Amino acid sequence: MDEQLSFEEALNRLEKITQTLEGGGLRLEEAIALFEDGIRLAKICNEQLNAAELKISQIQTPFEQEQESKDESP
Amino acid sequence: MKIYSVAEVTGYLRELLEADSLLADLWISGEVSNLLESAAGHLYFTLKDEASQLRCVLFHRARLDLTLENGMAAVAHGRISIYEVSGALQFYVDVVQPEGMGILHLEFERLKVKLAEEGLFEPARKRALPPFPQRIGVVTSPDSAVLHDIINIISRRYPLVELVLAPTPVQGDGAATGIVQAFNTINETEGIDLVILARGGGSLEELWAFNEEKVARAIYASRVPVISGVGHDTDFTIADFVADKRAPTPSAAAELAVPHRAELEARLQSHSRALVAALSREFAQYRQRIDELTRVSSMHLGNLLTISQEKLRGRELKLGSLSPLATLERGYALVQHAATGEVISRIDHVHRGDAIEVKVSDGQFKSRVTGSKKGLQAWMNSFPSKKR
Repeated sequence: MDEQLSFEEALNRLEKITQTLEGGGLRLEEAIALFEDGIRLAKICNEQLNAAELKISQIQTPFEQEQESKDESP
Repeated sequence: MKIYSVAEVTGYLRELLEADSLLADLWISGEVSNLLESAAGHLYFTLKDEASQLRCVLFHRARLDLTLENGMAAVAHGRISIYEVSGALQFYVDVVQPEGMGILHLEFERLKVKLAEEGLFEPARKRALPPFPQRIGVVTSPDSAVLHDIINIISRRYPLVELVLAPTPVQGDGAATGIVQAFNTINETEGIDLVILARGGGSLEELWAFNEEKVARAIYASRVPVISGVGHDTDFTIADFVADKRAPTPSAAAELAVPHRAELEARLQSHSRALVAALSREFAQYRQRIDELTRVSSMHLGNLLTISQEKLRGRELKLGSLSPLATLERGYALVQHAATGEVISRIDHVHRGDAIEVKVSDGQFKSRVTGSKKGLQAWMNSFPSKKR
């Protein structure tokens, strides 16, 4: 389910985890689990940044429709 | 034939005049005369030229900084109507400028004042841009250098978005309408969280669409925040004033729209470092606690040992007082048959000639019974008698 996290969500969670871990006062197992979560989230973010390719789509505006009809007529 | 009342005629004329789109919104130049200010603060004056004159009224709320003077050459904007009470044709003025400015400048200033009064430029209504947009609408002309710049910049900085292009002409007749339609389409498209409205540099005439009222209203009505990037650094359009964020150029608009990849990578790195540091700190704290616990528990163990040792010594002492050795110390002796080791505690136990062994506090010696006598009287009597 982590793979579906958006970059923003992953980064926000990473930020929270860093804060919690820096706040201290945790049981050791909790601290280790948080640390592992944090590192994994950082990895997800990095992977997203590296793997992403800009998507471009176009919506039909009345102007475009006019252009097309002009192109079609000789 | 019908006979009309005066009011019917002036009312009819008024309807006619107000239905005319030219007369509803026009600029007129002339010389100011018969200037009069009413107690309520309305200005009444006449605009005239060599051939004709026109009565004008400027209501208080529409007043500008400009001080009107008789004889001044001015250009006024407003609408033509009839004041039915006097039956007079009047020019209802909302803006007056000194003559000499081009019509586009006049129009720009007029619209700027009007929309500012309406609150379209209010800083308080400007919306914050989403820090991590996911779908960005791009309103600009297709296949333009501007569009390519925007695509390049966003692809380099933050390729995690989808650009949704809404093509429109950005210059000439139909540009303003095209921009408005593009905004309408974007508002109807799901998931768009930011709009870039862009056009490259140009003259005031070329950029004019961005100074039109309907474009300003389309930006204002946009469902999501709008970044304007129109012309060059020095160009300011009405669109810039209404937009939630004004960028000096189209490229700058693209940069403002998304976070910078390098910045994000640095942030991720600093987070990772912070995580490692925090966990190490946590470990160090635990190590310290373990050390402390070890020290404390070994101290307790030491105490326990001391206590046990003391108890043991106490027992030993008690044991010592019960030992026959202490009795021997006091001068008593333990007498046993040499042959059997049987303890001799009664006189019947021995007979003349028996070999006995006598143990005293620091050793033992062998002996032989040479005689015996029952009863202790004789022994008791051998002690010196106590004086009363």
